Amino acid sequence: MSDRPHVLVVEDNKTLRRLLEYRLGKVYDVAVAEDGQRALAAVEARAPDLIVSDIMMPVMDGFALLAALRSEPDTQAIPFIFLTAKADDLSRQKGLRKGVDDYLTKPFDVDHLITRVGQIVQRSQVYQSRLTAKIGRDFSDRLLPREMPAEPGYRTVFFSRPKEDGGGDLFDWTRAGDGSYLFTVGDIMGKGLQAKFYAFSFLSYIRSTLHAMLRETVSPARLMQRVNEMLITDAVLEETFASLLLMRWEPDTHRLTYCNAGHCRPILVTPDGPGMVEHSDLILGLDLGTTYEDRALVLPPDSALLCYTDGLNEQVTRSGGMFGEGGVALGAQQALRAEQPVHALLSWLLRRSEKPTFDDDVLVFWLQRQPLHAGDGQASAPATGWRHHSAADHRQPNGA
Amino acid sequence: MSFTFQKASPTAAVVRIGKALDFRNAAEFKAACQEHARQGIRYYTLDFSGTGILDSTGLGVIFSLYRQLTPAGGQVVFASVSRPVQVVVQLTRTYKVFRQFPTVEAALEAHSASAPAAQVPQRPSDAA
Repeated sequence: MSDRPHVLVVEDNKTLRRLLEYRLGKVYDVAVAEDGQRALAAVEARAPDLIVSDIMMPVMDGFALLAALRSEPDTQAIPFIFLTAKADDLSRQKGLRKGVDDYLTKPFDVDHLITRVGQIVQRSQVYQSRLTAKIGRDFSDRLLPREMPAEPGYRTVFFSRPKEDGGGDLFDWTRAGDGSYLFTVGDIMGKGLQAKFYAFSFLSYIRSTLHAMLRETVSPARLMQRVNEMLITDAVLEETFASLLLMRWEPDTHRLTYCNAGHCRPILVTPDGPGMVEHSDLILGLDLGTTYEDRALVLPPDSALLCYTDGLNEQVTRSGGMFGEGGVALGAQQALRAEQPVHALLSWLLRRSEKPTFDDDVLVFWLQRQPLHAGDGQASAPATGWRHHSAADHRQPNGA
Repeated sequence: MSFTFQKASPTAAVVRIGKALDFRNAAEFKAACQEHARQGIRYYTLDFSGTGILDSTGLGVIFSLYRQLTPAGGQVVFASVSRPVQVVVQLTRTYKVFRQFPTVEAALEAHSASAPAAQVPQRPSDAA
């Protein structure tokens, strides 16, 4: 099956049918039918992007065909052009009332018909892609937070730039009763609207699960276990796989407790260099018997934890390979001293990328602890960069 | 489409993945797997030699195959895993689920001996 738009020609006159098949066939995939009944069978076999149909035909005429198509949800929106010898106004009016998109009377100029077909096909394609993009954006917007937690001595930065044809990246945070925070960073496998839809359903589920479970546990591993069971047993989410990082942050003790289900490993950026937050368990949705484990680390002063999704490490470099974890870690190291660290990281990557934009969704969460003040061991604000403790940014273009 | 299926026995098939398994050919791959599953294939050796791209959609269809086969006692194993594929497998920790063999022949031998020695790559121990 080719990518060319598919046009169905319904015409009982053999000569005209052949002519249209030949002329339209230069631009479109053309199917032909001799009457309305055969046209319905052809539509069932493969729904066309547009139908050009005669009115007066044996067995089932053009009006009956149009009525049959308009009565079915799957076919009611197929653009329709009537082609007929009837120049009288009655047929024309009847056709227009029934919702045809255009009406040409014989003898007609074939070039004119081809132009009209082109315009209508293009219009419906533009409409379709805009609708898809709009729904995709709507899901993306709902998958991302409006604001970020603000804690003294910390900078929390969130950046996201979803792609219309990207996947189902998700990020969320919530505050537990004991003052700690729980962060969720994840990626639903797959691309496009379907992945975004699953991410949306999945995040709704995670939110309600966390809400219900936070009263009894703040263990990311126990929460992960529950989410995995849900993903495998839930009928709607069946065949959904997700990588997920659940992380509990206690700002008072600087302690981070995390459980990682096959997600991109966070990078710990210290003045001495970057390091991987190593431990990870199996991706979600694969195996009911998977056990998940909590690990903990203490975020040192003057350090940052970088969490992200695969749009960063899978970005293609100028030399044709992928950045990988190592490349992202190098960029993160440069960003530690920057006034706008996430911006600095993304710019660093783009300067070394094959293309001037990111190929996939970009999602970055940056948690930075401020340096200790020299001498007294107390945290204090350095000259710049710490006034804005938190920022959630969805709109920044490309970070360039 | 870059993958090809080849029956190794009435219940086993070797799938040469080719250059890429990604969002462009994942649906075709899934349909082909289902067709083979209908024909009674339960043991799949995925040959990743020369595979440059395995994206999350591609990995997703392999997972679907795994989920479908395991209740029926089937298996999916990897052979000749290229470096780009190894990176994905490490990142998602799926080496815990899919046995890896250095060659297709080794995978098939292990299957016919039916007591396969898994070759699971070792991770460096976790940082403190």
